[in-house]
Amino acid sequence: MRSIAVIAVTGKGGTGKTIFAAMLILHLCRKGSLLAVDADPDSNLPEALGVEEVEKTLGDVKEVFQHTRDEIRGDKSIWFEAKVFEVINELEDFDLLVMGRPEGEGCYCYTNNLLRGILRKFMKHYDFVVVDCEAGLEHFSRKTIDRADCVVVVSDTSKKGLKTAERISELMKSLGINARKAIVGNKVTDAKAEEMIENFASRAGFEFLGALPYDSMVVENEMAGKSVRDLPECEFKRKFKEVLKKFESWCLS
Amino acid sequence: MVERKKLEIPEGVKVKVSQGEEYDFPVDISPMHEGERIRKGDMYVELAGPKQPGFELVMALPEDQVEDMKVTLVGKDLDELEEGKAHPFAMIYYVAGEKIDSDLEPIIERRNHDFQNYIEGVMHLNQRYDIWIRIGKNAVEKGLKSLITIAKAVMLLFKNEMPFIEKIEAVYITDRDFVEKTLKEVAMPIFEERDARVEALHDEDVEEFYSCTLCQSFAPPDVCIITPDRPSLCGAITWFDGRAAARVDPEGPNKPVPKGEILDPIGGEYSGVNEFAKTESGGVTERIKLHSFLECPHPSCGCFEVIGFYMPEVDGIGWIHRGFPEPAPNGLTFSTMAGQTGGGKQVVGFLGIGMSYFRSKKFIQADGGWYRVVWMPKELKQKVINYIPEDMRDKIATEEDAKSMEELIEFLKRVDHPVVKGVVRPVDGKKITEGWGKEEEVEEEEESEAETEEVQEAQPQLQPQMPQMTMPMPVPFQQMPQLPFTMQSGPKIKLILKNATINIDKIIIKKTDGEKKEGQEGKKEQNKR
Repeated sequence: MRSIAVIAVTGKGGTGKTIFAAMLILHLCRKGSLLAVDADPDSNLPEALGVEEVEKTLGDVKEVFQHTRDEIRGDKSIWFEAKVFEVINELEDFDLLVMGRPEGEGCYCYTNNLLRGILRKFMKHYDFVVVDCEAGLEHFSRKTIDRADCVVVVSDTSKKGLKTAERISELMKSLGINARKAIVGNKVTDAKAEEMIENFASRAGFEFLGALPYDSMVVENEMAGKSVRDLPECEFKRKFKEVLKKFESWCLS
Repeated sequence: MVERKKLEIPEGVKVKVSQGEEYDFPVDISPMHEGERIRKGDMYVELAGPKQPGFELVMALPEDQVEDMKVTLVGKDLDELEEGKAHPFAMIYYVAGEKIDSDLEPIIERRNHDFQNYIEGVMHLNQRYDIWIRIGKNAVEKGLKSLITIAKAVMLLFKNEMPFIEKIEAVYITDRDFVEKTLKEVAMPIFEERDARVEALHDEDVEEFYSCTLCQSFAPPDVCIITPDRPSLCGAITWFDGRAAARVDPEGPNKPVPKGEILDPIGGEYSGVNEFAKTESGGVTERIKLHSFLECPHPSCGCFEVIGFYMPEVDGIGWIHRGFPEPAPNGLTFSTMAGQTGGGKQVVGFLGIGMSYFRSKKFIQADGGWYRVVWMPKELKQKVINYIPEDMRDKIATEEDAKSMEELIEFLKRVDHPVVKGVVRPVDGKKITEGWGKEEEVEEEEESEAETEEVQEAQPQLQPQMPQMTMPMPVPFQQMPQLPFTMQSGPKIKLILKNATINIDKIIIKKTDGEKKEGQEGKKEQNKR
C-alpha cells in the first residue's frame, strides 16, 4: 500500500490559491502518482494546469444519478463508481477530477454516501491527492472527501485573508479534520507584511511556509488564461522554490 | 423462466481449456487493490468497455452439469491480443450448490466486480453488459499471461467467500461473434427476467426489510424502512440496494430489519419494524404502518421527492413534487408542507414518499390507494400515469383542472371521483369513506335554511327567492366561494352560493321604518361576538 498525502489548498478567493495549488501539483506529480481535485466551482484549476476543456464533472454525474437512479438496473453503487471513473481526466503526468457544479434540489444523502466510499477506495492508490477547495471546505464538510493530511491556507496581506485562515482553522476543528495546517503568504510586497503573516501563523497555530511576492508576470500570465507551466522565470517562481522546500520538509516528512 | 443451460461452443474457433485449481499467481490478490485505476498509459489491453461489446453472467445449473474449476477460453488469450487496444469480452460462470437457485445469480454475479478488482493490475468497472476491464502492463510484466489465470483466481475467491458455491465453472470469451451472439441470445433474456422478478417482488416474499438512517444527521429520530413494496422516501434506495449495502457494511446506515409478526397485513404493520423503529428513533416512533396514510404513517425525514397531503374538504389525498412551485388546492406549496412534515417525525395528514412508491402495488392501500388520490401536478401525473389504474386516470385533477379547493370539489363531482360517494379500497373491498356527494344535499338544505333566516332578518325582500338556491355542498365550508352581502347598516352575514341558479324578476329595495333599529341591533350583536 502506498503512503498517501491528501493536501488541501484553500483560502479566500483572489489570494492566488489556485496558482499555488497548480504549481504544487506540477511539482509533486514528478515525485509520484498524483490526483488533482478541483473542488472550487469558482476557481479555474484546470485552466491553471493547462487543461483545455473539461467535458464532464462529478457534479454532472451526480445529477445524472439523481435523475436516473430509479431506472438503473442491478447495483447502483457499481454503476456510480464506473461513472466516477469515467469523469476522471487522465493527463500526461497526473489525473484530474473536477467536482463541478453545486448540488441541485433534493436529497443527496445517498449519493454522497456512495461517493464517499468510492473516493475513499480510489484516492488511496495515489501518492498525492491535491485538492483546490474554497474556504468553506464544502467537500470535506459533506465528507465526500473524508480525510486530509495537510491543509495549506493561502493568504494575501489583507485582514480578510487572515480572518479566513482563522475561520478555516475553526471549521477544521468543528468538522473533526485532523490535519496539520500551514499558511503561505501571497502578493506580499514588503518585509513588514511578511512579518505580520508570520506572527499570525505562530499565534494561530499554523506552520509558516514563507511569502510569495506580488509579481506582474503572474498577473499577466493569468490574464492571458495561460497555464502556470508557461510562467517564465520570475521572482515569484524563485520564491516558490523556497516555499516548496519548506513545504516538503513540513508535509512530506 | 429462461432455461439455464451450458453454452454450445462454436466450431472453428480457438478454444483453450484448463481444469483444476491453481494457487500460484504471478500477481498479488487482495482487497487492498480495490479502487485502483489503470491509466491509459499503463494499460496493456482494455476488455469490453465503452468501445467493445461485453458482459458478465452467472447461471445456476444442476450440480451434475458443472465441472468444478474448469475454465474454457473461447478466442484469443491475453498474450495474443493486440496490445494497447480494446477487445470484446464476456465472462460466464456456471455455479451449483444445494442452496443455489436462479434467485441467487445476481448476488453471486455482483461479487465478480469485487474479486476482479482484488487482482493486482486488473481494473473492473460496472456490471452486466456495461462491464469495462483494463489489464495493466505491470501485471503482464509480472507474468500474467493468460485470462485463464484471472478466471482461476476469481473462482477461488468465489468459493472462499461464498461457501455455498459447491462447484463453479467459467467460460471466458474474447471471440467477437460469440460474445455478441451469447449476449443477445443468452444473457439479455436472463437480465430481463431478473428485472421482471424485481418488479414482482413483494413485502410478503422476503424475510427481512432494510433500514436507512443516513438522514439522522439532520433529522435525528428518522428511521426509513425500505421494503420491496416501499423504496426509501428520497427515492434513492430500493430493497435491493439496502440488501447490497447491508452486506457490504452491516454496521452502516442500512441494517437488516427482521419483519417479525405481521400485525396488520393491509396497513403493513410488523412487530419487527415497530421494535426496530422504536429503538433507532429513540422512542419517537413506536408504530409504523408502511402502506397507510392516515394511521401511523411512515416518518418523513425531509428528503422526500413527493409529499402527500390529506384534504378534509374532499376526504381525499393530493400529491405534490419538489419541483412544483405553485400552491396545491389546499393553499400550501411543497416547501411549506415539507417544512411541516420533515424532521423524522410522523405527521398524520402528510406523508413524504419517493417517486417510485407510486409504482408499488401496495401504494397507500390501507387508505384506498389510487382511488383516494384526488390531485397532483400535471408534470407528476405524466411521470406516473402508467401506474394509475385506467379507470382513475381521468379522475385525478391537475393544476389545469383545479387550482383552488372550490375548483377541485367541482372537478371531483363532475368526474364522479370515488371520494364523492365513498371509497371502496381495492385491497379487501371494504368501503372506507362515506363520501360527501349525497350527504351534502341534506346538510346543504339545513345550511341554506339557516342562512335564509339570517337573510330574512336582514333583507326580507330577498326572501321569496331563497328556496331556489339549492346548493349541494361538501362538508367543510371554509373555502367555499363567498358572496358577501355588504350592507352598511345590516348585520354582517355571508351568503354562500354554490352551483346556484337564481332567477330574479325584480328586486325592490325599500326604506322601511324598522331598518335603522334593526341595523343597530345587528351591530351590537356583532360586537358581542
